[in-house]
Amino acid sequence: MTQFITTVLTSLSSGAIYALMALALVLVWRSTRVINFAQAGQAVLTTYIGYTVIQRTGSYWLALVVAVISGAIIGAVIDRFFMRPIFKRIKSGPIVMIAPVVATLGLLGIIQAIIGFIWGLTNQSIEAPVSTGGYKVMGTVIAFSSYNLLVLVFVAIAMLLLTILFQRTNIGLALRASAYSPEIARLSGIKVDAVRTLGWAIAGASGGLAGMLYIPGYFLYPNAMDLLLVFGFVAAVIGGLESLFGAVAGAMLLGFAINFSTTYISPKLFFPTAFIVLVLVLLIKPSGLFAAKKSRGA
Amino acid sequence: MSKQISTKKRTLLFVAFGWMLLILGDRVGDLELYQGSFVATYALAITSIILLTGYSGQLSLGQSALMAVGAYAGALTIFNAGLHPIIGLLMAALVAGIFGLILGLIAARLTGPYLAGTTLALAISLPTLANQFPILGAEEGIVFDVGLPPARFGEDFSQYKWFFWISCLASLIMVWFIANLLSTKYGRIFRALRDNPIAAELSGINVGRLKVTAFAISSGVAGLSGGLLVMLISGVSPSAFPLSLSFALLGGAVVTGLYNLKGVILGGLVLVAIPEIADSLVSRIGGSEGFITILPGFLVSALLILAVVFTPNGPGHLIKRHHKK
Repeated sequence: MTQFITTVLTSLSSGAIYALMALALVLVWRSTRVINFAQAGQAVLTTYIGYTVIQRTGSYWLALVVAVISGAIIGAVIDRFFMRPIFKRIKSGPIVMIAPVVATLGLLGIIQAIIGFIWGLTNQSIEAPVSTGGYKVMGTVIAFSSYNLLVLVFVAIAMLLLTILFQRTNIGLALRASAYSPEIARLSGIKVDAVRTLGWAIAGASGGLAGMLYIPGYFLYPNAMDLLLVFGFVAAVIGGLESLFGAVAGAMLLGFAINFSTTYISPKLFFPTAFIVLVLVLLIKPSGLFAAKKSRGA
Repeated sequence: MSKQISTKKRTLLFVAFGWMLLILGDRVGDLELYQGSFVATYALAITSIILLTGYSGQLSLGQSALMAVGAYAGALTIFNAGLHPIIGLLMAALVAGIFGLILGLIAARLTGPYLAGTTLALAISLPTLANQFPILGAEEGIVFDVGLPPARFGEDFSQYKWFFWISCLASLIMVWFIANLLSTKYGRIFRALRDNPIAAELSGINVGRLKVTAFAISSGVAGLSGGLLVMLISGVSPSAFPLSLSFALLGGAVVTGLYNLKGVILGGLVLVAIPEIADSLVSRIGGSEGFITILPGFLVSALLILAVVFTPNGPGHLIKRHHKK
């Protein structure tokens, strides 16, 4: 029974981290039709910035704020000065489908190389701000700590803020309109390009948060978030790539499936579970659980 | 599209090119032969990506997983079943092709990012599966030994030259086969699938079936190149097929030009040359060990971006006029 509860709790906390990454990918996909593989690099870069802040000031919380803000700035800069010029150049032909993938993969490599040049390749670590020792329940220590709880709370707050932003504000309306129909949005006076850049910025902030919450407990090195990127992507695809709710649901489904199969069947099933869940979902619904009803122009 | 070459002419070209390689192989040292074998292997892997992505319009990020399937199939045939290496390489292509057929059946309904996501998940999960089964040798992997060159070639026929012969011959035959295939009606059908699936369907093409066909053939080609790759490093293990291999090959395909088989050698050359260039750069300007590790990745990434920005349709595109469909 204890094992069951522990597994549920760890599923929730790993699902929450996948959700942040999935959200970052969905936000970019909705606004620009790009799967941003560079997100792993952006998130690691912001985490390194956070790490530097911790080295200088010793405060995790200040580092968290700095990382989220710098994540937003990096996201905006990448869209404005990298992705937008590429899209201006490549407008037609089948390369349109592949160019963003290749461009963001290239960018990922560049960012990781730059991190390596600046901070080196050795593993760094970030101390968690609260205890990472498991809680004691009925005399046994379970694999769920105050830190896991903190992660859950932070992710929940982030979701809430995003929901309010998207559903209750004019900016959110502009973001949804530009994603839904860029032409009509443009005709109604929305600066679609600027709104897209904003989408990249929010995604960057989300990635920065994911990095600062994920790295304590692991190590920080240039490729530290590659796996998280893959799981975030898988979660986003399960959720249908379009909806923010779908991304969270997909991430939770993935978190539960992975934690339960590794706990109850075999720890070696970590990666295969992700693949099997993805294939099962896509076999039933080829465009994810919460995809938009009808297709719309890119 | 460029003008079509007749099958006979193409066959003559391939034979002439093979002859040239044969003569070249006698003139250069072992290191060049070994690097040449890698060029041929990568060129073959890039061919599989061009067939799949450039022609049938399906973006796969899991080509390394299919290569791994071929490599394990080949290694088991040679090592466990004790059959001839040639049969091992054939099995590599065959098993990977069948695996690709099954995967293609699942993937046929998927498009764009959904297919990319599925193949990406496959690329990270499949190599770890090898650890599950003792017959696959877990982390240490299994040996892939093509054996010594036949005695009738003489005393000074080196192992590397033997590698070079096998990989070049296998790659030439396979690329020749694919080039022929793409100049038949299948080439046109694949391009139709890529450019406008709806119009293709309206013209009576069974889109699903043809996509699966492209997937299966591409997997077979990837499997053969996987078999060749582990022949060169003389053993197969999960770590021989990292995700970065998939990405590097995709990069090679973009550098080659996704819609053109003619440049695959160029793509293979680039992938082999970049670590060498990085090495010589480092030895010239000096640098730490970390610098040496990072530089090749940096160069590949920079090349990827430059290729996409400046020659999105391949280097041939700069020379040719904008092609008319």
